[in-house]
Amino acid sequence: MKITTVRIISQIVFMVLFLTFVFVTTFTCLDDAPALKFWVSKYLEIDPLIAIATGLATHALYQGLIWSLAILIPTLLLGRFFCNWICPFGILHQFVGWIFNRRSTPDRIASNRYRPMSQTKYYVLAAMLAAAAFGSLQIGLLDPICLLHRSLTVSVLPALNMPPVFVEIFGNPKMHQLGWVVGGIVLFLVGMNLVVPRFFCRTLCPLGALLGLVSRFSLWRIDRDPNKCTECGLCDRNCEGACDPGGKLRKSECFVCFNCIDSCPHGALRFAFLPARLGEVAWPDASRRRAILAAVGGVIFYPFTRLAGKTTRDFSSKAIRPPGSVEEQEFLARCLKCGQCIRVCPTNVLQPAMLETGLEGMWTPVMNFRMGFCQLNCTACGHVCPTGAIQRLTVERKQGLGEFASAGPIRLGTAHYDLGRCLPWSKNIPCVVCEEVCPTSPKAIHTEQRLMLVRDGKKMVVSATPVTVTISEYPPEGQSVGPRCVLTPNAYRGDPTARYYVQVFHRDGTSETHRIIANDVDTLMIGELDPAGGQLVAGSRLARIPERGDVAAIHIELKVPKIDAELCVGCGLCEHHCPVVGDRRPVYVTAEGETRSESQADDARNRSFRLVK
Amino acid sequence: MVSETGRHENPTETNASRTWTRRDLIVRGGRTIAVAGLATGAAVYLHDPKGDAGLQPRAPIRLKDYFAKIKPDYPASAPRLSAAYGEPERIADLTHIRALVEAAVAGLDRDLGISRFISRGDVVLLKPNVGFDRDPRLGATTNPLVVQAVIQLCRRARAGRIIVADNPIESPGACFAKSGIAAAAKAEGATVMIYSSAHERAVEIRPGRPEPARNEALGTWPIFWTPLKEADKVIGLPVIKDHNLSSASMTMKNWYGLLSGRRNQFHQAIHDIISDLGYMMKPTLVIADGTRVMIRNGPTGGRLDDVQVGGITGRPTIVAAVDQVACDAWCYQNLLGRDPRDAKAPLQYIELAYAKFGQDPGRIVARHWQDYERQGLIAETKL
Repeated sequence: MKITTVRIISQIVFMVLFLTFVFVTTFTCLDDAPALKFWVSKYLEIDPLIAIATGLATHALYQGLIWSLAILIPTLLLGRFFCNWICPFGILHQFVGWIFNRRSTPDRIASNRYRPMSQTKYYVLAAMLAAAAFGSLQIGLLDPICLLHRSLTVSVLPALNMPPVFVEIFGNPKMHQLGWVVGGIVLFLVGMNLVVPRFFCRTLCPLGALLGLVSRFSLWRIDRDPNKCTECGLCDRNCEGACDPGGKLRKSECFVCFNCIDSCPHGALRFAFLPARLGEVAWPDASRRRAILAAVGGVIFYPFTRLAGKTTRDFSSKAIRPPGSVEEQEFLARCLKCGQCIRVCPTNVLQPAMLETGLEGMWTPVMNFRMGFCQLNCTACGHVCPTGAIQRLTVERKQGLGEFASAGPIRLGTAHYDLGRCLPWSKNIPCVVCEEVCPTSPKAIHTEQRLMLVRDGKKMVVSATPVTVTISEYPPEGQSVGPRCVLTPNAYRGDPTARYYVQVFHRDGTSETHRIIANDVDTLMIGELDPAGGQLVAGSRLARIPERGDVAAIHIELKVPKIDAELCVGCGLCEHHCPVVGDRRPVYVTAEGETRSESQADDARNRSFRLVK
Repeated sequence: MVSETGRHENPTETNASRTWTRRDLIVRGGRTIAVAGLATGAAVYLHDPKGDAGLQPRAPIRLKDYFAKIKPDYPASAPRLSAAYGEPERIADLTHIRALVEAAVAGLDRDLGISRFISRGDVVLLKPNVGFDRDPRLGATTNPLVVQAVIQLCRRARAGRIIVADNPIESPGACFAKSGIAAAAKAEGATVMIYSSAHERAVEIRPGRPEPARNEALGTWPIFWTPLKEADKVIGLPVIKDHNLSSASMTMKNWYGLLSGRRNQFHQAIHDIISDLGYMMKPTLVIADGTRVMIRNGPTGGRLDDVQVGGITGRPTIVAAVDQVACDAWCYQNLLGRDPRDAKAPLQYIELAYAKFGQDPGRIVARHWQDYERQGLIAETKL
């Protein structure tokens, strides 16, 4: 079998594996087969750039990131084989080029010549690693594995899920704010293959740049035999890396695709463990001074963005991180923006941030409670996070049960009420959906029975019996007789969800309150007497008959919701299910009170209004 | 021939000195006429002179009557409601729960049992309460053993496809997994159907607009339609539990999970809604799960001490009934220990339900469950 055939098989296998892992990164799949948790983020874990950048940012190699050695060590022997044998984004680019970028042979040879713009990726790498060293992890913007994970999660898979036939099988497609931006970027990068083949891989990919630097030490490389070579140039025809196999091989650019060996009609090329006969360009073409300038840019990026204050005083209270997230500055040192948490989230609450957490936090996960809510028993996001930006929690830890009872639950934030928009608080409409759905036990949202004056509820007593009060409208200033009442019959009869009461104020300052059981146009009925014996058969009776001119106030009794900040975990179920569905919901969660920042001694970084005990 | 622009062109057409032939005229003219004709035809076909095409509501769809095949030959002497009480220490034992469910259903018909309700090949929809992401021991969702036992019972009646469906409050996948109901359905080869907009249709629950003055709330409402469309028979499998706003969530409230749309508005007239849900559904049978009864902090609960085995009976209880109103009233009194006719706080949706469909000749409804007791139409079994 030809070596290029072996390579294509490898590409197919690794692409299928990658897509499978992305596809099964769902709550249901991981719940059915927990063993998958080990695999679903494996492509991110083997990525040496992720390992090095998070290592620089956090001074540690989180859990599975040790697997990056599985790519790094072979690269030391073989060069950038990852780019053309394993990398799913590279495979996508090659595939798209193969299908859509058909050109004549001279055109192809020309398009595969080395271009100086291939240096760009080294500057990207220098800038991103410099920023990472200060604790701002930005590699995820362009790292191919992160970028592809994110694009599939946020844009591509939801789009494919849209036809009704798939909706029936997989449920409604997830929705993501700014999914079109993420999708647009990946479309642009893939489309660029028609202009410059493997544009992203050759020019922008920071992982390729890192592997290019590492492959300087590789022991094997493409070797050209000058005695057989006729300098026909056909080796460039299918060259993926634009690495000059027909001249002095640029080792740092070579994807080890072996197409040149395949294309050579004279058998002049081979993959050999030898010092190259014609020499090689082992170090990238990139200028050291420019690389330093780029790194300086990365260094400056840190204070420029960090001093926007988004991680400290000017934090956005809407930027609510997933359960188990580490403190914000630590979070920005770890989060890859890969979107695995967003993909696995069963409720669609996790969304890629745009600028709400600052420029540094672009595409990091935040919660949008109009889209979903944080499921109380779910800790899926932490289990797929490859870098520990979201820690792996047990349900006991998340809810503060058992041995974690003293530590208490993980709080994402705290819910608040905007009383002016709340139905029972401001509109006399019964509701308290928020209380019903509140999942903590005991419920953080509790209700209080309150009597609220109905509109024009202040009336004047005209006459009364022990069980009825006849009323008129309250007289205007300076008059003693008010206009006649015209009530809708039984408007105040109410039902168990909303009862009406009349409060009668006696002259001596005392008052009594009775439930209204019926009314006609001007009389409220609070009880019913047995016509024979005068015994009360329903409702209640007045203790004292009010006099003409006394005040009678009609109230509706409502359950109004209140929140116990000590019990609220900020899950957002209340906000999600609130029937007042505008973007300013009467009950809403903010990041204040989140547990992850409680340990921060610095006043500006501590987002809690609670006194930490 | 390849022109400078690289396109393949017909050599004769590039010939400048070429003259028209009759054939050319017919071919070219014919093409023009064909395209013009097609465009005109399409325009006439699609023309919308009033300007309201596509804005007309779709013809309303209505729910089937799943009780229609049962009602005509349901004997006047057969029990309307049957309760089976088990042993508290065997509450986690599937065999025991199955025996309980069987006994409860057999109470309605000594000879036929489940076969009175389910015929060979019937597609059966089971509607448990899977509303929340809670452990089954917390009593917020229908006991998965009850679901499993009912599936087994339907299988014994040679039912065809069995669908388990609900549209939970919380994340559906999580709710079905945590409640154990997904596993129960899987173990018995039943299909779990999870709500998505592809399954949704607007259903006419009552013609015209609902009249709030008559305590009506649902007119046409989006419904989790696919399972209801496919089913021949529907069995409601509610869990009996406390409910803060409406006092209790039982059989009629359980149909809430068949609706979609803006359900969060229902709380503004909860009793109207619950009685409307009862009005909407004519189930084949209801089997209420009184094994673990949440007696306070409903409907979500969350603590084991919110739950009492069998409520006030102290024994895991299964209630099978052909009258969902009486079933609710019975469970309210005999499991939750509250009186639906309590003068201070009556369970208003019971009265409303009777007012709305108590006289419906297609149903079996009693005003008070005690009416059945007086007529000897309640069966009780102790295991």
